Amino acid sequence: MSWLRISLAAFAISAALPVHAQTVTITTAGGDYGNAMKEAMWGPAAKELGYDVREETLSDGLAALKMQVTSGAVTTDVIHLGSPEGAQAAAQSLLEPLDYKIIDPKSVPEGAKSDYCYPFDSYGTVMSWNTKTYGENPPKTWAEFWDVAKFSGRRALRANAQDSIEIALLSDGVAPADVYSVLSTPEGLERAIKRLEAIKPNVAVWWTSGAQSAQLLKDGEADLVVTWNGRAQTVKADGGAADYTFKGSVIGTDCLGVPKGAPNKEAAMKLIAAMTQPARVAKLTDFIAYGPVNPAAYEGGLIPEDRLKTLATAPENAGTSVFSNSEWWVKNGEAAQQAFDEMMAR
Amino acid sequence: MTVTVDPALAADARRERRFFLSLSLPALFIVGLAAILPILWIIRQSFLTTGGEYTVGNYAKVLSSGLTWSALVTTLELSLGTLAICILLGTPLALALASARPRVANVLMAFVMLPLWTAILVRTYGWLVLLRRDGLINAALTGSGLTAEPLPLVYNFTGTLIGMVHYMLPLFLLPVYAAMRDIDPNLIRAAASMGATLGQVMRTVIMPLSAGGIFSGSVIVLIYSIGFFITPAVLGGGKVNPLSTRIERTLSTFQDWGSASVLGILLLVLMALIGVMLLAARRLLAQNTVDAPHA
Repeated sequence: MSWLRISLAAFAISAALPVHAQTVTITTAGGDYGNAMKEAMWGPAAKELGYDVREETLSDGLAALKMQVTSGAVTTDVIHLGSPEGAQAAAQSLLEPLDYKIIDPKSVPEGAKSDYCYPFDSYGTVMSWNTKTYGENPPKTWAEFWDVAKFSGRRALRANAQDSIEIALLSDGVAPADVYSVLSTPEGLERAIKRLEAIKPNVAVWWTSGAQSAQLLKDGEADLVVTWNGRAQTVKADGGAADYTFKGSVIGTDCLGVPKGAPNKEAAMKLIAAMTQPARVAKLTDFIAYGPVNPAAYEGGLIPEDRLKTLATAPENAGTSVFSNSEWWVKNGEAAQQAFDEMMAR
Repeated sequence: MTVTVDPALAADARRERRFFLSLSLPALFIVGLAAILPILWIIRQSFLTTGGEYTVGNYAKVLSSGLTWSALVTTLELSLGTLAICILLGTPLALALASARPRVANVLMAFVMLPLWTAILVRTYGWLVLLRRDGLINAALTGSGLTAEPLPLVYNFTGTLIGMVHYMLPLFLLPVYAAMRDIDPNLIRAAASMGATLGQVMRTVIMPLSAGGIFSGSVIVLIYSIGFFITPAVLGGGKVNPLSTRIERTLSTFQDWGSASVLGILLLVLMALIGVMLLAARRLLAQNTVDAPHA
């Protein structure tokens, strides 16, 4: 008769729970970043919606997503991905289309828009320099970064086409808004590669990891370094003779998606909409220097003035920066990288 | 001439052989599992598209790309450069060690082996500290006025070669030292007593007798050098791209397992070719030295 007792107990327990409590599972990267998202974003949103949100943490979101969807055992409703992975996942039909009737479509600037993975925070690929070399007069634009006559000095760039070809076009006078339409033509890609080839003799190091780029900046091994804002900020904060600017940065984003066949699809969309409200993504910067994508988060003093300087997406930088276009990279990445590698081998 | 052997003894010997063979089974099993299976898997993978269908497209793509061939040239330049420097530096060092008194030789040997006990990543970053623009070597050079500008010692081919030689030299030295230490000193004395100059002793006694050691050392250097990844990745500054970094790029940026497998097989073929060439060279060498008196 034990099965009866168990099922009675189960019945009693389920009856004790409020029947309307919606359960939603969110998968994040965990660590400091995951905690920041919980404190600032989904924690308060869950309270507001009355949802019971469960968190799973995984370091390789795309692999986990692929496993869940292809095996037909989807347990997560909302997943946190880097935007390039989000675009890859969308291309492999692993994500549900976002419901822009629930999520406010105006909360994403045009250049960052995605149909499948909602971009909510950002980091920048920026120009940094050695303050001992340039003092008060560092290069201010990518055109000046390329001007080796006016700004002599050793350059360091990332040994990867990603962000480099966008920067190359910006240095050649292409407007930020036109970068991807120019890159989408064969001549445009060639133009970017030619531009990189022109600076190649002055590139002392092509770096392969973020830590390496920070080291080059800190040691003065290179005078002008293309790096990520977090890395440049760390060198600067540690007392290194370095500074950086967000002007002309290439902005990368992280995004939230709903796995194909998620058990609570609609609740997931609602949670995404609620957790990315301006006040909540602004609050995220209390914990980590990843700036909101939503322009409204920068209004009404939600983010303290002095912190704005450390965020890639601050309004004063808008207009000079380019949002890295994940969908373009999924489609053209291999050809671009191939052209880049051939340039390097010449 | 035939030797008659007691059947009981022969059976004993057979049993013994079987016993020793069975002792080696666990090792053979592990080698089979850890070396042969993955290679078979890589060969299979090289014929698959990302969708899992059979194709020869990966081979066409990799072999028709100029990047593959420039990576191959870089791989050969690095390995042969490393080998040449190891022979030039290692042979005299081995000779010095072999002719030193045993106590002195042991101490010197410990110094030679010291780098082997340090992780390769630590050593590679150690070279960065020494070789970079404001590093110890450049600071000494510019500080003493020997050079006006810091020399480009790292983040290029030179730096990569320095790092690789540092790793390979002890491994080259061991077999060469062993071969030279085993040379009977009486042979050298005999040669000298018959009026041979130092050069003649080197050429006719020491070199032929240590050729086997130099050969083994060279094989070790080449086999290791062909697959070097960390050293060119860290000390090459993105400008030195052998096959190993090409494989990494194909995997991590393109997620193209098929093409990466083709590149891996290319490395295996390269190793096999070098192995065959070295074996042929050794046979030639052995013929010249052994057959000479008969001719």
